[in-house]
Amino acid sequence: MNFIRQYYFDFGVMSDNLSDLMAGFWITIKLSIFGGVLSLIWGLALAVIRQLPGRATAPLRWLSIGYIDAFRGIPLLIVLLLVSGGLSSLSSPIGGDVIPDFIGKPTWLGETSPFWYGVISLTITYGAYMAEVYRAGIEAVPNGQMEAARSIGMSHGQAMRFVIVPQAVRKVIPPLLNDFIALMKDTSLVSILGLADVVYVGRQIQSDIFNGSGLVAGAILFLIVTIPLARLVDYLIAREQRRTKRSGESNDSDQLEETQPAGGLPPNSGDLS
Amino acid sequence: MTATGESVLRIENVHKRFGSLKVLQGVDLTINRGEVVCVLGPSGSGKSTLLRCINLLEPPEEGRILLEDKEITGKANQDGIDFVRRRVGMVFQQFNLFPHMCALDNVTVGPLKVLDKPKSEVEPKARALLDRVGMSAKVDEYPDRLSGGQQQRVAIARALAMDPHVMLFDEVTSALDPELVKEVLDVMRELASEGMTMIVVTHEMGFARDVSDRVVFMDGGKVLEEGPPAEVLGNPQQPRTQKFLGLVLDH
Ligand SMILES: Nc1ncnc2c1ncn2[C@@H]1O[C@H](COP(=O)(O)OP(=O)(O)O)[C@@H](O)[C@H]1O
Ligand SMILES: [Mg+2]
Repeated sequence: MNFIRQYYFDFGVMSDNLSDLMAGFWITIKLSIFGGVLSLIWGLALAVIRQLPGRATAPLRWLSIGYIDAFRGIPLLIVLLLVSGGLSSLSSPIGGDVIPDFIGKPTWLGETSPFWYGVISLTITYGAYMAEVYRAGIEAVPNGQMEAARSIGMSHGQAMRFVIVPQAVRKVIPPLLNDFIALMKDTSLVSILGLADVVYVGRQIQSDIFNGSGLVAGAILFLIVTIPLARLVDYLIAREQRRTKRSGESNDSDQLEETQPAGGLPPNSGDLS
Repeated sequence: MTATGESVLRIENVHKRFGSLKVLQGVDLTINRGEVVCVLGPSGSGKSTLLRCINLLEPPEEGRILLEDKEITGKANQDGIDFVRRRVGMVFQQFNLFPHMCALDNVTVGPLKVLDKPKSEVEPKARALLDRVGMSAKVDEYPDRLSGGQQQRVAIARALAMDPHVMLFDEVTSALDPELVKEVLDVMRELASEGMTMIVVTHEMGFARDVSDRVVFMDGGKVLEEGPPAEVLGNPQQPRTQKFLGLVLDH
């Protein structure tokens, strides 16, 4: 028992390393925010491309579908290793210097290259997950909405922008938050590139003094952020259900639609909510 | 009731199928300016499909549709869709209001985004339209706060905001509780009396008899009979029409 307390919950170890751990967690937060925001945008773009009308755009639709299928099925770790290895090699003499350093070894906004490899990989992978969430949201908007929009003269693009996507986004905020929680946990993989995030710092402590308390402190820091997020998801879902119920009662049509689009979640996104 | 004899819409031999299901099998119909035409027929006879062909929500496969003497069907008509949707308004059975916009925004979004008109011009006009359909007290309400009849009246105002030359109504009272039907029909009656050209798919025989200039009976994707309401409703010639009217009038 004593061993367990000392190995996992040595508060002395935690407080001695607090500033390093906090600095690491700050990197985790920044990775999550950059990766999260870019995935949100990229995922929406993919979903909208996937819904383009007409025969001429079919190749774009297939590209989008192929991309989504591929990156939902490839482990983030592999993407991360391929992105970091590829970009750094291609911008080195060994790879023929085919891309300039500022892309191959990015240090934008004063962040390190591993940080940006992480952001790019998270965006590639989570863009695919989020595209599926958006798609479920777009498909959950009743057909009549598109028809009504078209009947007052809107183009497909205008209808998507002013009518369909605003409704879809409202429906998909909870599942997107779930994806964000999963993304935040997955930032820890970037530590294998030597980025000093909270997991990297914890592992350093573990290998230096054979004590896991640094990693436990990291876990606690994650929970401080993810538990409130998970509660927020629950609250939003409950609110949406109340709203739908109310409109069902005051509305004498039978056109009630679902509140929660199904599917599109990465397999590990449900474990907190 | 102010038909001038000048044709606004000419539908010639229009065919439409979904897969192997032939839904429209050669529809011919001419609509004159200011005319109110009611389309009757059993469920599945192709009434909705006909309206959806007229505003090109479903492009017909064969035949022609001419709107104000311009052909809107056919491959050569990429601008046809724009031409039609700016001249033809449609009101749906399920209202299809935009639920994330208040009543006023539902009415203004078309002129603002599609016609690029300034807000200072669009908003007063939208308020006037909402007043005209008796909704001036509810301009800021969202659709889920409105009854079906109120939603349908906002939907009519939304279509009118685009200054359509022709209005299509697809069973616009069928989803309403009986006590809400009249408020919507009254708005349509008034529109008709102001000279709007209207094609009205309906099961409201009273409306067809009192308001329309002409009644069209459809079955099996064809127009079987058409004429003044008194004749088609009072003395139908085709057995199918007699049977249909018998069924409806008995109930
Ligand atoms: N988009 C569609 N895809 C397949 N079948 C359709 C579609 N729209 C209508 N139909 C079919 O066409 C037939 C006629 O439908 P509709 O025009 O809605 O008739 P009505 O309005 O007179 O009841 C029906 O059998 C219906 O199931
Ligand atoms: Mg119908």
